[in-house]
Amino acid sequence: MNALLETLQFVYAPQVVNGLSLGVAVILMALGLTIIFGLLDVINMAHGEFYALGAYLGMSLLGIGVGFWTALVLVPLIMLPIGYLTERALIQRVFHHKDRHILTLLLTFGMAIVLEDLFKLAFGPNPLRPDTPIAGATELFGMIFPTYRLFLMGVGVVIVAAVWWVVYRTRLGAMVRAAAYDRHMTASLGVPVLRVYAGTFAFGVALAGLAGVLLAPVYSVFPTMGKDFILMAFSVVIVGGLGSIKGAIIAGLLLTQVQALSSLYISPVWSDPLVFGIMVLVLMFRPQGLFGRLGHG
Amino acid sequence: MADYIAVQAAPGPRSRLRPGLAAVFVALALAGGLAGWLTGNVFYLRLATEALIFGGLAMAVDLLLGIAGLLSLGQALFFGFGAYLAGLLLRDAGLSFWPTLALVALAGAVLGAVAGLIAIRARGVYFALITFGLAQIAAKAVYNVQALGASDGLMGVPVVAVGLGPWSVPASDPLGFFLVVLAIVMIMYGLLSYLLNTPFGRNMQALRANAQRLSFLGFDPWRYKLAAFVAAAVLAAVAGALYPVLRGFASPELLYFQTSGNAVITVVLGGVGTLIGSLYGSVILFGLKSVIGTYTEHHLIVIGLLFMIAVIFFPAGLVGALRRRK
Repeated sequence: MNALLETLQFVYAPQVVNGLSLGVAVILMALGLTIIFGLLDVINMAHGEFYALGAYLGMSLLGIGVGFWTALVLVPLIMLPIGYLTERALIQRVFHHKDRHILTLLLTFGMAIVLEDLFKLAFGPNPLRPDTPIAGATELFGMIFPTYRLFLMGVGVVIVAAVWWVVYRTRLGAMVRAAAYDRHMTASLGVPVLRVYAGTFAFGVALAGLAGVLLAPVYSVFPTMGKDFILMAFSVVIVGGLGSIKGAIIAGLLLTQVQALSSLYISPVWSDPLVFGIMVLVLMFRPQGLFGRLGHG
Repeated sequence: MADYIAVQAAPGPRSRLRPGLAAVFVALALAGGLAGWLTGNVFYLRLATEALIFGGLAMAVDLLLGIAGLLSLGQALFFGFGAYLAGLLLRDAGLSFWPTLALVALAGAVLGAVAGLIAIRARGVYFALITFGLAQIAAKAVYNVQALGASDGLMGVPVVAVGLGPWSVPASDPLGFFLVVLAIVMIMYGLLSYLLNTPFGRNMQALRANAQRLSFLGFDPWRYKLAAFVAAAVLAAVAGALYPVLRGFASPELLYFQTSGNAVITVVLGGVGTLIGSLYGSVILFGLKSVIGTYTEHHLIVIGLLFMIAVIFFPAGLVGALRRRK
């Protein structure tokens, strides 16, 4: 009995907590992706690069002497107009084409390529790492965790709750959901649908940027940082259901736990193929994912 | 859910294939090959051969995207499969060139059928993501399997001779192998053009225009989708098989999203639905990379911007834009 408890405490619990902190990070990415898809039908292939952009903006702000906490607030605010303009200037151009699924996917893929190379040009290929804003470790249930990771989890929960509240409990969120459900009807009721689109894209991108700053002290900052992460976020969004907020949260927790716990039994290098395997299985048998999309039930 | 992928109105009953442009391509390639041989420029001949090989991969993507209306983000799966299988057959089984190519084509068809059964269950954007996921699994697996050289790749593929009746061309001969690859790629193009003009192929093209109407007419779209998927898998696998013959190795990068994504860029730049545009696109892309590469290592910014411009202003691509002017 004691041995079992100790296994739980020292083998499983740390993995669960590590999985949770990764899970929070992935959910922040997945939320932006899923909201953008749910409303605009756009698979944002550049989402990982917007995450990296947030991290690099954060690094630049730190570089000119801004404090970490100020940067954490400033970066999403800077990302909002960037996202808004990106949507208005680029995505809107191909949005009304019948091929929009494919064309917007290709366009954001092009953006991803350009942005990644721009990061290399501007900041060099080597990883940068800001100082951890909350140093030290905390003991919790007899286990030691880096305090920043615990903080990260707390912030993640707050952000997810805030997004949930905005989408489901505010007038703005109601407009977004209405536009996702039937944009023509929504437009005839006087909602500026195109601006709602751009605003939603900006909101998703700002979330990615916020995640970039939050995670910079943990995973460090490098030009391809978005790429490794976006695969996981894509899997989460697909398993949860493209366009579903609830799905992104539940699948995010589920998949990161699968990844964390499976690495106790199989070599960690195989946990990625495992997660993608789950994604492919879901696409095969339940392509709409576990939950319905935004504005639909 | 509405299936938005059912694409804009097809350009009339006329096919978008342009045999004239294919003839021009062969003439240009022969002239370029000859010029390279006369000036003794081995580097550019090898690079041109590589451009043709990746052009073959892009043609496979175009067969799916431009003909069947399916965006594949994982065609590198079959390309890398062909490269690794050919490498193993040439190195460890000691097979010669043509049997290797035949076996790779056959195995590519089997893999294509298996992956196709999985992938074409999904429609539209979900198809794109499922191909992406499948290729990602394969890439991670190959990257971690020691027997396949893991992250180093499959090294030491021997230089083989390509038997052509009474003659034999060593793969190390820059001009000779360039011509062999050109011939193989153009034969694949010719076979595809022929296939697309048969009633079966016309139904395949109808997938892109309106898959639903195809089933109203009593044809099962599923069969045509699977056929297109298998054909594209064979095409990509054969193109992949040529890679280790040219370079002497196969690396996990061949399976990465980078490779699949590049093929999509090539198709969009060259012209969606034209098949031959993929070859033009590939040559132009390789040319751009090596020209810009002499000035800066950040050629991806330029290529990415060109790609975005192409997506926004010429969704039909280079060959498509030429066609419109006529």
